[in-house]
Amino acid sequence: MSTGTDTKVKDALDHVRAAAQELHGAISDAAAKQGGATKADLEVFAQKAKSVAQSLKSSINTQQGAAKKALTEAASELETSQKQAAEGLKASGQAFQNSIRQAVGGARASVQKVSEALAAARSAAAGQHPAATAAKNPTTTSAKNPK
Amino acid sequence: MRNYVAVVFDDRRKAYRGLHALWALDGEAEVTVHGTAVIHRDDLGQIQVDTKETHPALGTAVGVGIGALLGALAGPAGAAIGAVGAATGGVIGAAVDLDRSDTRQQAADETRFVLGFGQSAVIADVSEDWTTPIDTQMRNLGGHVYRRAKSDLQDDARFEDSEFYYPYENYLYPYEYIPPAYM
Repeated sequence: MSTGTDTKVKDALDHVRAAAQELHGAISDAAAKQGGATKADLEVFAQKAKSVAQSLKSSINTQQGAAKKALTEAASELETSQKQAAEGLKASGQAFQNSIRQAVGGARASVQKVSEALAAARSAAAGQHPAATAAKNPTTTSAKNPK
Repeated sequence: MRNYVAVVFDDRRKAYRGLHALWALDGEAEVTVHGTAVIHRDDLGQIQVDTKETHPALGTAVGVGIGALLGALAGPAGAAIGAVGAATGGVIGAAVDLDRSDTRQQAADETRFVLGFGQSAVIADVSEDWTTPIDTQMRNLGGHVYRRAKSDLQDDARFEDSEFYYPYENYLYPYEYIPPAYM
């Protein structure tokens, strides 16, 4: 069972992860379509990446330890992606295609980092509850090498 | 603990049910899913990975790396298979493409251990405090779960300097992606 604070933290991280997932989904859909992504797609990506990066930054101070570090890295990934996308808008041909790949990769890396933050926060929250720890530890030990 | 998980099902439709169930476990905070993909091995042994890509510019990347992922899940000899598969221009049927006789038998055995002909598998990068939620859910859906710690996979990542290296994480969608045909 979660406390009110746990729930708020979880909700905030879930929300920011959903935003990052949506960002990756949009740019990867655009990249995958016949004809590939357009400059309009990249422009939208750059705008949304900036917005999600800001949300990430505002979540950083609500976290601690590994979660905080992962969120910081996620924000950094997205800021880099946003800058690369802005540069990519001036490019054409292969350079533009490379910008699209960078955008997909950057968005993916960002979601990855947010997921890691979420995992760390969930693990920390679970560890704060004695009942959960007592229930989980014996199984964790016996299930380390499932065959 | 951060693990790579392969859940083998008898067909692709069941695999997508497994994929959905896995993300549902994430939604319930039982595990945290970092990425997933669904792969299929046909009756001839060729391996396909379901992706969004239809754009030719991105098509070249498809195939390279997925054998490395399968191989990595199968163990060190399996990782060798993946690298050879990539070097031969695609990881399709990686086990069959292997030329190195010293590792061929071991690697083939290990790969069959992971994914048999005609079977499909959900490949997932997950954080889990215990293995019971995934094991129970997947068993109920008819899946067989294999696991490997991500730290072990990184130990096997000796091909990263190769020009054929393609990070297999790139195949894993960081959210639930189900192709329209299976929705």
